[in-house]
Amino acid sequence: MKIVIIGAGISGHTAALVLRQKLSKEHDVIVVSPNKMWNWIPSNIWVGVGQMSSSDVTFEIAPIYKKQGIIFHQAKCTEIYPEGLNQSKPFIKVQSTSSDQFYDIECDYIVNATGPKLNFAATPGLGPHGGHTQSVCTVEHAVKTSAALDILVEEMKRGHNKTLVVGTGHGMCTCEGAAFEYIFNLEFELRRRGVRDKARIIFLTNEAELGDFGVGGLNLEMGGFITPSKTLAESLFVERGVDWILGAHVHKIDEKTLEYETLDGERSTLSYDFAMLLPPFTGVPLKVFDQSGVDVSTQIFNAGGFMKVDADYTVKTYENWLPEDWPKTYQTRFKNMFAIGIAFAPPHQISKPMKSKNGTVIAPAPPRTGMPSAIMGRTVAQSIVDMVNTDSKQPTYQSSMADLGAACVASAGFSMLNGSAVSMTMYPIVPDFKKYPGVGRSLTHTTGEIGLSGHWIKKLLHYAFIYKAKALPFWWIIPE
Amino acid sequence: MKIYEAKNYLAARPNRTTLFLRSFLPWQMIRFILINIRMTVMIAKSHGRQVEKEK
Repeated sequence: MKIVIIGAGISGHTAALVLRQKLSKEHDVIVVSPNKMWNWIPSNIWVGVGQMSSSDVTFEIAPIYKKQGIIFHQAKCTEIYPEGLNQSKPFIKVQSTSSDQFYDIECDYIVNATGPKLNFAATPGLGPHGGHTQSVCTVEHAVKTSAALDILVEEMKRGHNKTLVVGTGHGMCTCEGAAFEYIFNLEFELRRRGVRDKARIIFLTNEAELGDFGVGGLNLEMGGFITPSKTLAESLFVERGVDWILGAHVHKIDEKTLEYETLDGERSTLSYDFAMLLPPFTGVPLKVFDQSGVDVSTQIFNAGGFMKVDADYTVKTYENWLPEDWPKTYQTRFKNMFAIGIAFAPPHQISKPMKSKNGTVIAPAPPRTGMPSAIMGRTVAQSIVDMVNTDSKQPTYQSSMADLGAACVASAGFSMLNGSAVSMTMYPIVPDFKKYPGVGRSLTHTTGEIGLSGHWIKKLLHYAFIYKAKALPFWWIIPE
Repeated sequence: MKIYEAKNYLAARPNRTTLFLRSFLPWQMIRFILINIRMTVMIAKSHGRQVEKEK
């Protein structure tokens, strides 16, 4: 059998390593990715403030796959034929990144783990490619961001006051946690470089409340109170002197100002000297065809370009959302095709969706990066192993985000003696208000605290996950 | 909507003891162990589950 994985990010790479470890050598594990380098994206935050270099967070992927016996194609997938075409075997069409030549790769199982397309075009002027803002979504972006920060700091050292804006560049963004990490690392870095007094730092977010993080916020039991994450997040912003704008959709950005709308319908402009704004995500453009060659992409992907799996996609109001809506096996309509990580279509948001008075949707998209992505990769790999070995069409492993918890460490300053990070656990990721009335999550397993030890954990995770991704001896002991 | 200014916003603030403990090495070493245990429990609860195989 041949199993092809499209994408080599956290979920795709995990799936590939687990498949290769558990399947006998008579089966081929094939990875298709346009990227030559593997990037531990969570540490891009530290590259963006100049505390790490690109080589600290990336490595060449082909030698790892060669050593593991995984077939690697540095290419971009453009079309998927999960049933084959006119009685042929299933295959995918790819375009080589070196020669631009198109060719087909035969397969029996397909795992779509493409990750997101960074949709900077959604907001005019957004992003480092022809826009005016910085990003830390890729290591190349983070390196540019760090260089822009260096120039800004030099000007501040010469006595100039600057306004720095960090956050989300569109009302439908996700990964607010990454923006949260970047702003506090930036604040810490400016203090370290002795120019904090010259900076006004503003967090601009699509979240309706601080501490929402796209998961509707958390409730934590501490000091005899059930405390919302909003209270804790506001405390940190006030302590660090960071201002904030909530419920914002950025309409356009020019070289010195950005125009945004907030939930009350008001449109405002904000002058800035440096901006790191995350883009919204869409699915990576792909087409899917049935066995007679008919393009069925509109049935397979949602409007955002994410692949539909075994979720309940019935349109419902927020009050009627259920944990059961979330997918369990990540199998698509085609029994031999799966979608994991950011590539799968969530049934709806987790945070309560909001619209401004003008009807502009300002709603954080659900985060599904990091730990959940990797677990999905393992789950689907384990299912495929069983399906291959038993000639079954039924996945044997499940990992719904309504059953999974997540451990997150949000860095707030890079230093082994003075740094800090917010260490959070939440269980489950998708709140279940029937099981946990009023709070949505287990108060025993939903926790959060800030301190130096969080930074040590974040640093430890950086090395542990890169070790694991390099498939070095006993890599499989390290959990996702 | 207004820009919330940190300096004028009434929020819970950490007291001196809390700030001290956040970077006090012996206390943070204990927290390091406890947070790791907490996260290990979370990871153990969150690695998916096997369902009954198709007969």
